[in-house]
Amino acid sequence: MIANEETLKKLMIRAQSGDKQSYSVLLEQTGRWLGRYFSNKIASDAIDDLIQETLISLHRKRDSFDPARAFLPWIAAIARYRWVDKLRQTYKHQAGTLDFDIAEEGHEDVVGAKISIDRLLTMIPEKQAEVIKLVKVEGHSIAETSQKTGQSESLVKVNIHRGLKKLATLIESE
Amino acid sequence: MHNKFNIDDLVNDLTPVKPMNINKGLALPTVIVIAFIALFVSQLGLRSDLAAGIPAPITMMRSGVLLLLGFATARAVVSMATPSVGKGSQGWIWAVGAALLFPISALIVAISTMSADMPVTVNTGWYCFKMCLAAALATAIPMVLWLRKGAPTSLQRAGWLTGLAAGGLGAFAYSFHCPFTRVVDISIWYTASIVTSAIIGRLIVPRLIRW
Repeated sequence: MIANEETLKKLMIRAQSGDKQSYSVLLEQTGRWLGRYFSNKIASDAIDDLIQETLISLHRKRDSFDPARAFLPWIAAIARYRWVDKLRQTYKHQAGTLDFDIAEEGHEDVVGAKISIDRLLTMIPEKQAEVIKLVKVEGHSIAETSQKTGQSESLVKVNIHRGLKKLATLIESE
Repeated sequence: MHNKFNIDDLVNDLTPVKPMNINKGLALPTVIVIAFIALFVSQLGLRSDLAAGIPAPITMMRSGVLLLLGFATARAVVSMATPSVGKGSQGWIWAVGAALLFPISALIVAISTMSADMPVTVNTGWYCFKMCLAAALATAIPMVLWLRKGAPTSLQRAGWLTGLAAGGLGAFAYSFHCPFTRVVDISIWYTASIVTSAIIGRLIVPRLIRW
């Protein structure tokens, strides 16, 4: 079970004051939350790296958490930033068959739709979101994606580029 | 968790931190603006209307708009260091809108009164442009350092806003000396310095604050 917003916020405030025990619990719980947050939003073999990078960012940027605000929207902003950054990196993995449209069980209860990655993807044009999912998340080639979507290969590349650029400007939008 | 080992490393590395505070983030840029006002006034002199204690309406309007633009955008910049999904911070858009009144007014005045008796104040204007940019650069430094410390998620926007804020505050500092009284002169040279500052911010700041 993952701790709720109130508990995580209290742990974070204690962590900012140097309480290592609270920090250990916070990182453990946040790691689990991130596992769900990133589930089906990136290749499964990249999830652990992404969680780790997000936790390191949490550690380095922990003074940017405002105790007067909620914890989950803060970590979601960091997680989205790391996620877009990860998608921008060139990596290749075997094409999987992730079902992007199936919401993971319990996910909505925990984080709320407004701060999810799904919500972020609805803010860019559908054609851009579609090719980002196919190429950057599921690992299909440009040629395969071109065939699946009916977009030319050059258009697929342009839409990925534009879509990621747009996503980077929308990180804190809900 | 697969990353248990790394979590332990992070826990061992934990030290107490003070949460970033917007007012603290604005303090240093404010001090630098005040220092530049003092520098301009002591080295170049106070505007004659201000020195006489009877500020011209255009002086009041100009300084007010620049102050509004500078601090509204500086506040947005400082706020960007503490991210949160759903955090709305659009107040700076209204300040930019208010600041645009000057170049728009200048355009209207220029079109309606274009004549030979409108000398081009290139030398004074160019000097004004350089002084505004110098003050802007100094004001931008603490904002960039603040952003580097924090976690801004939109690097390009942070770049634009840092340049705009620094440009507005730099021009505000110089406005205590600036002898211009015509809206056309003010609009051309102040707008040029603020736009240049914003472009420099967009080009340079994102590289400095990437995390």
